[in-house]
Amino acid sequence: MVYRDCAQQTIETSNQKLQNHDFNLDTALANIAHWLPAQGPIKDFIHHNTLHAVQHHPFHEGIAIAAKIFGARSYLPLTDYQNMFHQGRITRSAIDWAIEHSGGTPFEQDNFRNTLFEDDNTGHYPPTSLANHGIRTTWLTQLEIDLNAMVHPILFRLLGNFLDQGISRWNLSKTGEHFWKCIVRLAQNSLLPLYPFNDAAVHDLLSKKPEDVILYCLDKIVGDEQLYEQYLLEMLLAHPGWSGIVHVIEQKPNMLLARREISLKEMIAVECAIELAFLHKKKGEYFKSIAATPHKKGISLLKSTHLKPTIPLHLRIWHEAMEWSLHSELLLALKTLPSANKKRLTTPKAQALFCIDDRECSLRRHLEEINPAIETFGAAGFFGIDFFYQGLDDAYPVAQCPNIITPKHLIKESNSASHSGDKTKPKKLTHMHFTAHSMFRGWLYTQTLGIGYAVKMAWDVFRPGSKLPNIRALSEVEHHSHLHLLRESDELTPDGFLLGFSYTEMADRLSGLFRNIGLTDNFSPLIVIVAHGSSSVNNPHFAAYDCGACSGKPGAPNARAFAWMANHKAVRAILREQGIDIPHETRFIAALHNTSRDEITYFDPHLLEQSPVPNLPAFEESMSTALQRNAKERSRWFELAPKSESIETTHAHVKERATSIFEPRPEYNHSNNLYAIVGRRQLTRDLFMDRRAFLHSYDPTTDELGDIMARILSAVIPVCGGINLEYLFSRIDNSVYGAGTKLPHNVIGLLGVANGVEGDLRTGLPAQMIEVHQPARLLIVIEQSCDIVDKTIAKIGALKEWLDNEWIRVVTCHPDSHELFLYSAKGWEAIKLPKDSKAPVATSSLDIIAGQTQTIPVHQFIRSHA
Amino acid sequence: MNGLILTSLGLPLLGFILIFLSSTNEKKIAAISFWCSHAMGFSIIALLVLWALGGYQNHEYQWLTLYETDDYSFPLLFYLDRVGAAFLFCTWAIFSIIVKYCRVYLHREAGYKRFFLTIFSFVFGLNLVILSGSIDILFAGWEIVGIASFLLIAFYRHRVQPIRNALRAYTIYRFCDIGLLLGSWMSHMMFHESQHFSQLADLFNNPSMPPAGYGSLLLVSTLILIAASGKSAQFPFCFWLPRAMEGPTPSSAIFYGALSVHLGVFLLLRTTPIWSYHYLTRASVFIIGLLTVIVANISEKTQSNIKGKIAYSSITQVGFMFMELALGLETLVLVHFLGNAFLRCYQLLVSPSIVVHLLRVEGSADADFYIQNNAKFQFLPASLRNTLPEVLQNTLYVFSLQEGNLELLVRSILWTPLKGIGAFINKTNPWLKLLFSVTSLAIIASIIIVSGATLKYLALPVSVFMVLASLSAFSQKHSPFSVWNAIGLSSTLAGVAIWFINPSALFDVIIFASGIIPAWALGIVVLAKLLKNNNFTQDPFTYRAFSETQPKLSLLLFLSFLGLVGFPISPAFLGEDLLLSHASSHDPWFALPITIAFVINGIAAARVFQRLCLGRPLEVNIPEIDILT
Repeated sequence: MVYRDCAQQTIETSNQKLQNHDFNLDTALANIAHWLPAQGPIKDFIHHNTLHAVQHHPFHEGIAIAAKIFGARSYLPLTDYQNMFHQGRITRSAIDWAIEHSGGTPFEQDNFRNTLFEDDNTGHYPPTSLANHGIRTTWLTQLEIDLNAMVHPILFRLLGNFLDQGISRWNLSKTGEHFWKCIVRLAQNSLLPLYPFNDAAVHDLLSKKPEDVILYCLDKIVGDEQLYEQYLLEMLLAHPGWSGIVHVIEQKPNMLLARREISLKEMIAVECAIELAFLHKKKGEYFKSIAATPHKKGISLLKSTHLKPTIPLHLRIWHEAMEWSLHSELLLALKTLPSANKKRLTTPKAQALFCIDDRECSLRRHLEEINPAIETFGAAGFFGIDFFYQGLDDAYPVAQCPNIITPKHLIKESNSASHSGDKTKPKKLTHMHFTAHSMFRGWLYTQTLGIGYAVKMAWDVFRPGSKLPNIRALSEVEHHSHLHLLRESDELTPDGFLLGFSYTEMADRLSGLFRNIGLTDNFSPLIVIVAHGSSSVNNPHFAAYDCGACSGKPGAPNARAFAWMANHKAVRAILREQGIDIPHETRFIAALHNTSRDEITYFDPHLLEQSPVPNLPAFEESMSTALQRNAKERSRWFELAPKSESIETTHAHVKERATSIFEPRPEYNHSNNLYAIVGRRQLTRDLFMDRRAFLHSYDPTTDELGDIMARILSAVIPVCGGINLEYLFSRIDNSVYGAGTKLPHNVIGLLGVANGVEGDLRTGLPAQMIEVHQPARLLIVIEQSCDIVDKTIAKIGALKEWLDNEWIRVVTCHPDSHELFLYSAKGWEAIKLPKDSKAPVATSSLDIIAGQTQTIPVHQFIRSHA
Repeated sequence: MNGLILTSLGLPLLGFILIFLSSTNEKKIAAISFWCSHAMGFSIIALLVLWALGGYQNHEYQWLTLYETDDYSFPLLFYLDRVGAAFLFCTWAIFSIIVKYCRVYLHREAGYKRFFLTIFSFVFGLNLVILSGSIDILFAGWEIVGIASFLLIAFYRHRVQPIRNALRAYTIYRFCDIGLLLGSWMSHMMFHESQHFSQLADLFNNPSMPPAGYGSLLLVSTLILIAASGKSAQFPFCFWLPRAMEGPTPSSAIFYGALSVHLGVFLLLRTTPIWSYHYLTRASVFIIGLLTVIVANISEKTQSNIKGKIAYSSITQVGFMFMELALGLETLVLVHFLGNAFLRCYQLLVSPSIVVHLLRVEGSADADFYIQNNAKFQFLPASLRNTLPEVLQNTLYVFSLQEGNLELLVRSILWTPLKGIGAFINKTNPWLKLLFSVTSLAIIASIIIVSGATLKYLALPVSVFMVLASLSAFSQKHSPFSVWNAIGLSSTLAGVAIWFINPSALFDVIIFASGIIPAWALGIVVLAKLLKNNNFTQDPFTYRAFSETQPKLSLLLFLSFLGLVGFPISPAFLGEDLLLSHASSHDPWFALPITIAFVINGIAAARVFQRLCLGRPLEVNIPEIDILT
């Protein structure tokens, strides 16, 4: 991703900096910027490694550095691990494994064994850090000014109003106007003074350029060039949310709907000017600068914290032991699995292609359990087709592919029914409470309609779920619309897109996907492409609930596009030339799985009516039972769900959640994601993995050069790894890396959420999404031999960093022998699992989940038919 | 019916006590709050039905008299009329919805118990205000609502900003308590025994003989108006309301969207006869409403966050209510109140939906998505709009952005000078202070002896010291002990001064002291325990989060704080009232310094509590044994 380049650049620059003390603003800004969160506006939530800034360090070192910078916890509290041990979720052998891999001397290792179970209450709270205990604390301790408390509300207001995407009625920015110019305009050309820019000295500053203002202010405020960079970093980390979003917008201005011209430099200039103004107001023109005040002992300095991370070794061992316990559960089950049946099954009755998403893991299992004649596949949920999509009702096009790809094509939805063109719809009375009113209309409405809201409110609270929400989700398209997929001319649209795909481009994309998942022959008569999305109400983080491989959108347009292309004769003809022969009778159907309600919608029913698909009714029936069981399995996590055994009651409850305005947990999304398995379905078909696995289909026999695997990993590592690490860090320190509890969130400018009216934007995931998550790193299991995977790893470029620094773990599982090898930067290590242990076995999913409220180890199924 | 009034009041209190005693088990708390809120609902509905069947008669009920001397009585007096009925109905409807809502919404939240405790105490306070039959009872409820508000804004005590905003809202509340405290004192003075709301209207029925002089009526109206505008975030106190939106969304909805923000309107409705008697006060109510409508409406235009926007819309509507009140449109006000309360409550509850709404509903291609067009000056004719000089546009924007500069205004008028004086006192050498006070006392005492006047004039210097002590507490930041001692000293001096004024009031002074002294002592002991291993002066400005690390001591400190500020659980509350009544019967001037001292003491004590008990615990300077070598 973009930010990684940035991170690597910094290693070099920070080394240079050690030799050269002269302060260069641009270099310093580049250094600082990579510490900022990289989260964009909330409308498209893209999971990424929260600590991308330290990704070039090994995992444990990286988080230790981050802890010293951000003031966050690095691990769970010690007692949590100890409790997990007592519950049997951390095994003795895993502790031994972790200690062996800790790299200590035998004496130290013994020492750890003896002290692991001692009580220790100190590790619970975050360490002293640059963000909280740096040189800027001087203001508070020495000069007794709470500078943040004075500056932040003003800065946040200006930023919020400047960047606002549609909440306020009056725009602050004019088209094309830069942030700095805008502030200067307000401060210089207004009859009322813009507080605190009315301070004489600061007012004069405004005519200068931002960089000069920064240098001038730093000279006054800090006074020592060696501390400039640290001061600026601390200043930005005091409000990471706003700094981060400014940086993101500077890098990718297209992320905003209404474009804004802003840069980190301008924001810093404004903030420095405000700080200086307040210092003048409180302490007069000649106040003591930071360099002139005596330093207190124990103040964090950038250089020292940067170079000397301190890793709490006990916690590190516990954490690794937890991860290894969980990882070995899968490895054990894989190892003892009977060798894969080489022969493919006879052509199945139906095939279904799902998203790689861990939430589909259980649905696929249920579907196959109910109807063994169905074969399922997994692939990244954009199904290999990357494009911008603009639905009928969408104001703007959105990217329907992982964040790493920038699509060149635009697909528009058009209305095939006759009433197209009638776009002016009357304002609905039900939405009146959202619309901004003029003063007197507001008075009239409150007088007359207000009391009606008593009824509405009571209804929504006491009878939730009795009706579907009025808000249709993006891409939950109406049945009769039509995707404009075929490109008619090569002319670019005004925004520089190609409108639609040519047949060759379509065939290329399809064959790419078919080869990725190893489906090149044996097509069944019915192939269902199941995208997923999630519906919830009253949820500003809705985008984090949708498909991660579609940049936080429902994948419906991709599934529809895929089905349309794959059904098209011209495309099939080209595919046939490329060696993929899709039988004439095979039909592709697109569908959307709603993961919060566990419902499915099949698209283009008018086509189905014209020419029915014989196998579809049976598939639909199995699917609806599978969805009910899936809802049952999901609801074991919901404490307030009815405890009744009835599958219908639980399904009804799950649906109710998605429409209740008071339900902050419509679903638990990717909570507890842990494994990513790239391989044939035979490998995982008989495993119960508790919805914890991202499953990507792959045929190891067709990939001698490792090219296909490289393609798959280049999507799996950033998407699944990003999801996994975001959940991990949001869980480990929800108040620093996560967004805190959802309950007091206030939507700011459609950019993000903040606590209260004048708070900083919160990045990461809210507590209600991650509270049941077991924060363990992702384990990617690749069904392939080590030699080929070595070839693959040579081809994935910068992504290798994730593996070498152990931000994710990779294990290969040999396609024939199921021998397991663990990757590390030093080479492959054969995995030894305790000989006497065996994976638990069961006969059906429902038996396993009955009465369980915690995570469940991987089980093997004993199937009578197999 | 009387029984129903008591149950409507008692059930929330019962709920509070039961939740307090229960474990932190969520299910148990949910069950208690479910039953108590429903029982309260039944009791309220039954009360309203009975009252309606009785022909909507105004109903007064005197339960018992708490304290009585010859010229003073403190009866527990309740009153129900159509104003109270409308508010009571609204409270019931919104409270039961919110309790149901929060059952799920707050599920698994740390502080589940704390939240329900606070909203039950809030509803108890609210019902007390609504059903109060005299201004004293109303004041008790008013205080409870204020403290509950403080606690709910600071609900997320790990973050600095909620804590700060909680104190900000509390200072405004406390300042406006001056209005109510002095107002209640003046009503004692003017109406003597008959401070019953029920008799208020009758007092003014005789146009030829008003119950009090023009001046004192004007004064009492102004005081009431200050109290009302503070609680309802009217001009010039608009700024605190949006900043109070720090707690969980439903708590913001019930407090600042629906109920608490309308209490000012309620107070004005209750005291209509007093302030509507003269045109001048009526006009000032109207003007405050008008100014609020203008400022809040313009401020709302540039709110880029949804809760701030709703807050200012709500303030605007309350401004309209003030104007309607001034015009005497009481029924309209009641309808307006109900509409506004329900609408804002709902808006806040669904405020997280705004992203989806704007992007997916408004944003759907009907081209009316106002992100693209600049709506400023849409109300002007097009020709004028485009020629309006930029400087005016900028000016309007800056006005709106800074929300009319009201916060700066209030701060520079009210707090800065007080802080200045306090800081000056704290800077002076303690011996110098002692010397100064002893000599000045001696001089005045000798003057009194020489001139043969009564000892009563000694109260004059004593009350000056009292205010100075309060101010010193107010601006003391370095030692919580000094703050607590200054508050205790100031309160003691208040008692002493009253004793000088009226030597026969010794017993009443003792009642007052019986609330203050134990609270003071308790506070000092708790502070000493809390700060035992803690060098306070080293970091006077960190939030120490003792409520998490030392919950029991923190609770004690909170109780001590409540005792010192004369919260209605302590005898000091009655004592405060007694002191004021003595002041009024002998020397009316004394009411002012004593009120100022009470108010400032409250703020200072709240700040100590805030600094010590709130915040996020931090592991500082723990030797790191596990260092990777």
